Amino acid sequence: MTFRQPIAIRRRSSAKAMLSALVGLLLLLTLFGGSAGAQAPLVLPAPEFETDYQRPELSHPLADGLWRDGLYVGALVLALAAAVWLVHWRRSRRGMAVLSIFSLAFFGFWLLGCICPIGSVQNIGLGLSDSSYILPWAAVAVFVLPLGVALVYGRVFCGGVCPLGAVQDVVLLRAVRVPEWLDKPLGLIPFAYLSLAVVLATTGGPFIICQYDPFIGLFRMSGEMWLIMSGLGLLLLGMFVARPYCRFLCPYGVLLGLCSSVTRRRVSTSPGQCVNCRLCEKACPMGAIRPATEERGRQT
Amino acid sequence: MNDGRGADESNRKSGLTRRQFFGGLGLGGLTLGLAGVGVVAARRAAAERLLWQIDPFKCVQCGQCRTHCVMAESAVKCVHDFPMCGICDRCVAYLSANSSDLSNGAENELCPLGAIRRELIEPPYFEYLIEEPLCTACGLCVMRCAKAGKGSLYLQVRHDRCLNCNQCSIAAKCPAEAFVRLPAEEAYVVRHLGLEDLDRRLRDAPGGTR
Repeated sequence: MTFRQPIAIRRRSSAKAMLSALVGLLLLLTLFGGSAGAQAPLVLPAPEFETDYQRPELSHPLADGLWRDGLYVGALVLALAAAVWLVHWRRSRRGMAVLSIFSLAFFGFWLLGCICPIGSVQNIGLGLSDSSYILPWAAVAVFVLPLGVALVYGRVFCGGVCPLGAVQDVVLLRAVRVPEWLDKPLGLIPFAYLSLAVVLATTGGPFIICQYDPFIGLFRMSGEMWLIMSGLGLLLLGMFVARPYCRFLCPYGVLLGLCSSVTRRRVSTSPGQCVNCRLCEKACPMGAIRPATEERGRQT
Repeated sequence: MNDGRGADESNRKSGLTRRQFFGGLGLGGLTLGLAGVGVVAARRAAAERLLWQIDPFKCVQCGQCRTHCVMAESAVKCVHDFPMCGICDRCVAYLSANSSDLSNGAENELCPLGAIRRELIEPPYFEYLIEEPLCTACGLCVMRCAKAGKGSLYLQVRHDRCLNCNQCSIAAKCPAEAFVRLPAEEAYVVRHLGLEDLDRRLRDAPGGTR
């Protein structure tokens, strides 16, 4: 046998110890004295076993692979297309509800929420500022797609595709109208959150949107306790205030709002048929329908 | 009054109100902006799927892999690199350093979960197998093996468990900055292949810096 392990540490005579220390010192000197390649081999030769024993193979279980990202982006495209059709052609609220429940199940509970358009803001920020950062292609796709659709058809992503919005929609019991003096200042929080997240991400800091996502813990059924509790708290609030996260926190919503503010194709009441009953204004859970204003040029 | 109405009429004739003009300007600007960001980002993007791994040559076994994974059971596990193992009778990572005798009683095992299984190959050689479902990635055995053994044990992200979060929450806390991302085709860092091999792969990885 060529390979034997000492069973216990043996005592050495002091002379032997001195010698070995000297040899060790010489070895160290040669190691650090310029020869960089002089490293101890990591693999130990196997002893000659008497039995026909073979060393076990290292197991390397594989990840889901590329199809997972492809599936995600493909599903996102299809869901966005379905949402556009349901909002602009079919004009079906029930259809949108079904679509958001599908999105909640698929993007939320099945794909476990990562990577999402909301968090992709940070990847894009870091990818643009730091060329050494490896930007996942799926992050680029999920960032651009909902915004591109919002430029043409408005923010249909929020209504039917986003799992974070859907989880708040399913708990909504009776929407209380948030008074304007509170709604307006609270609506500024997303701008601050987005700026902070982008600044932190581009300077190599943490991805705070992902780290403090209140609903991801529910999708994964695990996570930090205070985050899950705050997610549940938001859902409790969401029973009476429609979509509190979307309206008063979501940083991606800022970008979507910007894009949808210039879109040509909007959902609107038919001006010719409107009798100014203002029922829609009262019914909108988000308080998004404002009283009709006269066009400036005609106010004569 | 008449002038105002006149202006409105003339605007309508040219087919463009002030509101439409600025709306169009905004739409054009935002479209260009989004397209620009998209194109620049797409040129920086990697086609491969990149997965998290721990650089075992940087890992300091702080134990945060056990506590900071987003899942209840960490995706990081202890891995045994068999070609590096000394297959000793008395494994320093198997037996607690504090044990007064060298018996393999459960009270003398270093692993608090008893996740290392010791099996006789033939005297005096033993093999040590990690019971992955029991391992919590606390890193106790890894630290002992690195300090007093051959360094054949190391902590590694297991891809069948890892959710591949956008931002790995262990990586965010890792004091040694040992988390790296590698393309999915060859997504495991194998310790016995050495530091040079890992360096080469990180250099070849898209956006690699090392």
